Amino acid sequence: MAAPALILFGVFAIVPLFGVAALSFVHWDGLGAITWAGFDNWTDAASDPVSRNALWLTVKLTVLCVLFQAPVSLLLGVFLAGRQRYRALLATLFFLPLLFSSAAVAITFTALLDPNFGAGSALDLPLLAQNWLGDPQLALYVVVFVIGWCFIPFHTLIYQAGTRQIPRELYEASRMDGAGPVQQFFHITLPMLKYTIVTSTTLMTVGSLTYFDLIFVLTGGGPGNATRVLPLDMYLTGFRSYDMGRASVLALVLVIVGLAVSLGLNRITGASRMESQSEGS
Amino acid sequence: MALQRNEHRPNVVGAAFAWLWLAVIILPIYYIFITSLRPREDYYAENPLSWPANPTLTAYQRVLENDFLRFFANSVVVTAASVAVTLAVSVMAAYVVVRSRDGFGRNLFRVALLGIAIPIQAAIIPVYYLIVQLGLYDTLAALILPSIAFSIPLTLLILTSFLREIPESLFESMRMDGATEWRILLRLVVPLARPALATVGVYQALQVWNGFLFPLVLTQSAETRVLPLSLWSFQGQFGVDVPAVLAAVVLSILPMLAAYILARRQLVSGLTAGFGK
Amino acid sequence: MKLGTRRRSLLALGAVAPVAAALGACGNQPGGPSGDGATAWGLTGGAEEAMRASFEAWNEANPDDQITAEYFANDAYKEKIRTAIGSGNAPTLVFGWAGATLADYVANDQVVDVTESTSALTERLLPSVAQVGMVDGKVYAVPNNQSQPVVLYHNNEVLEAAGTQVPTTWSELLAAVEALKGADVIPIALAGQSVWPELMWISYLADRVGGEAAFQRVLDGEAGAWSHPDMLRAAQMITELVDAGAFGDGFASVVADAGADHALVSTGKAGMILQGSWIYPEFLTNAPDLVAGGNLLFSTFPVVEDGAGDPTSIVGNPANYWSITASASEADQGTAADYLSEAVYDEEHIDSLLAIGAVPPVAGLEDRIAQEDDPAFLDFTYAMVRDAAHFELSWDQAIPADQAQELLNNLSRLFLGEITAEEFAEAMDATL
Repeated sequence: MAAPALILFGVFAIVPLFGVAALSFVHWDGLGAITWAGFDNWTDAASDPVSRNALWLTVKLTVLCVLFQAPVSLLLGVFLAGRQRYRALLATLFFLPLLFSSAAVAITFTALLDPNFGAGSALDLPLLAQNWLGDPQLALYVVVFVIGWCFIPFHTLIYQAGTRQIPRELYEASRMDGAGPVQQFFHITLPMLKYTIVTSTTLMTVGSLTYFDLIFVLTGGGPGNATRVLPLDMYLTGFRSYDMGRASVLALVLVIVGLAVSLGLNRITGASRMESQSEGS
Repeated sequence: MALQRNEHRPNVVGAAFAWLWLAVIILPIYYIFITSLRPREDYYAENPLSWPANPTLTAYQRVLENDFLRFFANSVVVTAASVAVTLAVSVMAAYVVVRSRDGFGRNLFRVALLGIAIPIQAAIIPVYYLIVQLGLYDTLAALILPSIAFSIPLTLLILTSFLREIPESLFESMRMDGATEWRILLRLVVPLARPALATVGVYQALQVWNGFLFPLVLTQSAETRVLPLSLWSFQGQFGVDVPAVLAAVVLSILPMLAAYILARRQLVSGLTAGFGK
Repeated sequence: MKLGTRRRSLLALGAVAPVAAALGACGNQPGGPSGDGATAWGLTGGAEEAMRASFEAWNEANPDDQITAEYFANDAYKEKIRTAIGSGNAPTLVFGWAGATLADYVANDQVVDVTESTSALTERLLPSVAQVGMVDGKVYAVPNNQSQPVVLYHNNEVLEAAGTQVPTTWSELLAAVEALKGADVIPIALAGQSVWPELMWISYLADRVGGEAAFQRVLDGEAGAWSHPDMLRAAQMITELVDAGAFGDGFASVVADAGADHALVSTGKAGMILQGSWIYPEFLTNAPDLVAGGNLLFSTFPVVEDGAGDPTSIVGNPANYWSITASASEADQGTAADYLSEAVYDEEHIDSLLAIGAVPPVAGLEDRIAQEDDPAFLDFTYAMVRDAAHFELSWDQAIPADQAQELLNNLSRLFLGEITAEEFAEAMDATL
């Protein structure tokens, strides 16, 4: 009964991974003959400043994304867990960005952030009329913000649901002890959301590591190399420079980093819990 | 279940922040909407955030004349087929994981756990050549098959954690009645797992509907173009016609918006039930 | 756990074999996508309408030898065509820019020699354009649309308001930049996010400073070609322009695909723009008043006073080209060759190109151009191509793809001021 799932996953996900591993040891331009390369692609990639920068940018992007998305989603999620009418309305509106494709979001923000014809020129606020996507110092932060715009709604939902599962007796008891809202937040809400935080952060981390679509359409990796993260570097190396061997090395690095992060985060909490459950069943 | 504290002491920080975030969310959406109504020749002349002086639907007309409905239909086919197959094969696999007594189920679960971390980007080059060799290049199947493969791990995990909560006694009593595994799956597991199936189905539908990389690499012609890619190519094709590009954006989210309005509760509770544990 | 590992590695062994076989088989799969007759892939935008009309006319006249055409956006096409050719999925007629890509196709026997079958067409072409389709003295590609020289456009209303005029020399250009800056407009619009418009600047500057030889050294793979004094000077001039504020502060976020660069000139927010001749129709659409009032001016690239370059030399795309894929069936190849020699640049095709402001690289068109409604621009570009001492193919097409990517990358950093001209030269020398 598990066969169809295994076959589909095996053929279109596992087999290609071995293909990537094989390709990382050959020279191939997608057109001519395939020749054996040994570890050439690996040493080349390791010494290439562009790829090293891409790896560093990927780490930076991931950290910034988590630092931006996690507190905002947590705050909004906890707030929206309240039952007032207008909060329900807010929750409805907050959901909207989830409906947009990355391509749609990127196209919108490109137009909106255009220094000459975008919102900055409309509001006549010098603060907003920055060269957002053209300044190498700013572009990465703009990308982090736009990614946040897309995904904070999703994580807000997770936190909202998590908060609603906290028994309200805990709050009542603490109020009897004279705890204020700030204390309650730190002593009850946060500890009780432990697993929610882990789930949400894992998804954020793995998601940011592999971010491609939005950056591809929004900046194409520029200005210069300011937003050329690893997945984009891989794509450009493979499908623009036609260096399939080098691109495969980068792809493998992506897989390894992704696996390491999700294994690491799972080890800390979630999976061990799930696995022990499965062992018990 | 309500958090009483909120009714006694208003959460000022949270409220201020929520309203601020609302502005952040709404501004781009407002911008998309008004710009799509702006006449092409006024785009560079008018204030980008003002209501158009001469609102018009001609941008929508230009988009619809450019095969938009076909891209739309392609997206529907790819999304529906991917989600249906993903759910079918994953619920079968999840059943095996939950019921198996040997190491097989546990290993299957571990593979799925690792599978979540495999980025689509990493596998794209071999997937491309695999699809070419299978003779599927530039067909809708070329999008459906890999989309299913990469949706399986997460779907399997969520369904598995849901199925574990079905009481053992239910399985036992059906087995006593002589039911086959298939019968148990269809009569017991699927009906009970309906909320989880809806959840993960919605989530994967969003993923596939908005997917960009597979269509970018695995298809080429207008016959097989799906919505997100069409937005990108509209951008090249319409050039300075920003209102048309944004009208296409509006049209591309309409079905998701309709689904959201019609089935908001299901969608939201589904999404949160899946990940909120 | 042990069992699991072993099972997985067994699976791995089984998995590698078919992949390796599949990859190995890629290069020699015959037949093309399907046997339903000849196919062609073109580009959207530009001369798409003329190309569509040409295929429709051909299909009407030759119901038994139909050609099915499809059209793609520029970037998407460039990414797909190579992998399509490599995997035997190429169309019969391949749209291209000639240059290094064509040489690569020829070296891998992917396209066929059409010297004889298209001689009727090549005889009528402007030699500088026909030349580009040849590799080792044989014709592998023939032009299919208009010549696309890169032109300096000016919004004369803006220039006049700033008290300056169309620059003809490098020092006049610098003076115009100062004057326009003083008038609070962006002197020169540049789509820096797209990077390729930046190539136009360095190509023209290198040509004006060092002549044809400057880039020929790169093509020949000569060591140190990029740090040659002429090339280095061209890179330094870029830095000089950027430092003088010639492109404004925001150029790095301007996107050419969305036309945000020439929109700056149409709307009077910028004075000039260096762009391909293909953007002229956009001015007709977006700034009809400017064009009708005679205030959209165009000129050749300024002369560098002490440079060795010929002032008539131009940069751009001599044209786009059709090649015939070797993997297509013989019947389809025949159909394609007939189409090239009979239908490309026939009377109707020339008419439909001229109608959209595109000048085909065919000799002796002066009289026909004079009959058009708006002959000034057509006449200007036609004369430019006809009289050019040298027509230099866009650099990103002329050199191999991996080098071109490095070039775009380093060039954008040069424009951003992240690297100096010397560092640019050093980085590019490393790619040779």
